[in-house]
Amino acid sequence: MNRFNTLMLRNILYFVCLLSCSVCAQEIDTESVIGASTQEDNKLWEGAKKAWRDDIQFHGFLSQGLFSTSGNNVYGKSKNSVSAGLTEIGLNISYRALKNLSFAAQGLYRRAGATTGDAGEVTLDFGFVDLNLLNLQEGRIGVRGGRIKNPWGLYNETRDVAFTHPTIILPLTYFERSRTLMLATNGGQLYADYNTSLGNLSFKFNYGWVNADDKNILTAITYDPTASGHLKSKPSFATQLNYEMMGGTYIFALSYADLSMSYQAKNSGDPYAQMKANIEAFMVSGQYNGETFSFVGEYSLRWSEFTDIRLGVADTSPVSEYWYVQAGYRFVDDFQATLRYDSAVQNINDKSGQVFHEKTGLPAQLTFTHDITFGLRWDITPVWMIRAEYHRVHGATTINLLDNPDFSKIVKNWNIYALQVAFRF
Amino acid sequence: MRLFFINRYIKQKRLKSLLLCISLCLNAQAVDATEVIVSANAVGQLKNSHKLQAIFSLRTLYWPNGEKIKVFVLPDNNAVHKKFVKEKLGMFPHQLRRTWNRMTYTGTGQPPITVDSIEEMLDKIQHTNNAIGYIDRRVEGESIQYFNAP
Repeated sequence: MNRFNTLMLRNILYFVCLLSCSVCAQEIDTESVIGASTQEDNKLWEGAKKAWRDDIQFHGFLSQGLFSTSGNNVYGKSKNSVSAGLTEIGLNISYRALKNLSFAAQGLYRRAGATTGDAGEVTLDFGFVDLNLLNLQEGRIGVRGGRIKNPWGLYNETRDVAFTHPTIILPLTYFERSRTLMLATNGGQLYADYNTSLGNLSFKFNYGWVNADDKNILTAITYDPTASGHLKSKPSFATQLNYEMMGGTYIFALSYADLSMSYQAKNSGDPYAQMKANIEAFMVSGQYNGETFSFVGEYSLRWSEFTDIRLGVADTSPVSEYWYVQAGYRFVDDFQATLRYDSAVQNINDKSGQVFHEKTGLPAQLTFTHDITFGLRWDITPVWMIRAEYHRVHGATTINLLDNPDFSKIVKNWNIYALQVAFRF
Repeated sequence: MRLFFINRYIKQKRLKSLLLCISLCLNAQAVDATEVIVSANAVGQLKNSHKLQAIFSLRTLYWPNGEKIKVFVLPDNNAVHKKFVKEKLGMFPHQLRRTWNRMTYTGTGQPPITVDSIEEMLDKIQHTNNAIGYIDRRVEGESIQYFNAP
């Protein structure tokens, strides 16, 4: 009996070996078949590819979102309805003119609910000249001048490129309604990379003017949609130190930003004429990117200082706190699930918003948000992706006030269902 | 007694064929392993200190003679690409894609050129100076050079 068992075991092993051999062979076959079938297509492309100089590259992205919510609106009229209010299209060109000199620019078309209106907006997302001062195998140092993306946490620099972040709606710390503030700097950037056997350090320092001229930011500060002037940036800076280990398996980052702006009145009787705002913020980021699991955590504190703001605002120097923890699981290479707990508190001295409510008469939920997100993402091909997500939201501190103009009707507990399809090249 | 010897003989034979099968399997895998290839003019440029991960993550941009390294890759979902990234770079394709996307969509770098097949990869490396890429097996050809980095 024992001998029989051993024989059986050997036979099974024999079979498994044969099977794996044939699988190996099959893999090779499929590859060569695929290679042959695409060869003709390649010839068609060959001409087009050769027409471009190899120091010039074009890339772009496109995404369309669908949103349905209860309680409050996101990206247009999504409440008890469906809104197709988020469209992002980007096209960029980069030109490596010399070994140490290159140019890059990206145009962005964005349609995002009431902020941009139905027609959407076209902006220059970035456009700069890059001068590389030192380039060694151990690292490099250089400067960029023009409009440069701001480093802030793990996702801000590519926040409009759907492929580059895990969920349709970014974590609350990326404050969607005041996104224009953090987007880019018109000015200069100093950058330095240092590569060691233990990991790669990267440092960026942006100095210049940010885009503060946004109705959403003004409304978020004043809670007054009738304010007729606009905000203008004063010299500001954003900086980040990033450390990546094991090819990006572990990523740590420290970000700091100091943004200043002042109110530009349209007419003489404007009650906000003397208003100024200063925002200082830091963020600590940590990420683990494994083969199947990924974990992300980011913690951020923001000190705001509003001077000469109209009476009625609860606190002219609130300290805001944002953090989230996120876990991702890849079932297979192209299919992943994400779960996140996200928290935002506008004023850590008034976490429930009670003081704010008493002083302003506005709903307390305008001062906090706690959001549980569950999302699924399928990368159909390397260039096409589709994803869906659900948010259970408690609070409304980060909602777009232009999409929800009646502040008294802002709801505390609500849901977001979202779907997005995206393309990149 | 005779039966015992026959049995033993059969067992030994089975064992031998089993070993043969395993070695075949290993061989098949060796054939299937990815090979890093560089264009003929770049071979002299290779240094032991060159790290493939740094080249494909676009941290090392130039050959020692100052010429730009032209990196060619297969699509993210290609089996040979996945194998190459794991075996030769010690990374996962999604980590590499993250790095390339950040550069591409912030204007701070140019990602590698994606080719659609092994045949196209061979063609590109043979006909482009200062190029680096990879294929799934060794092939005959004077203008194909292999990069045996540590």
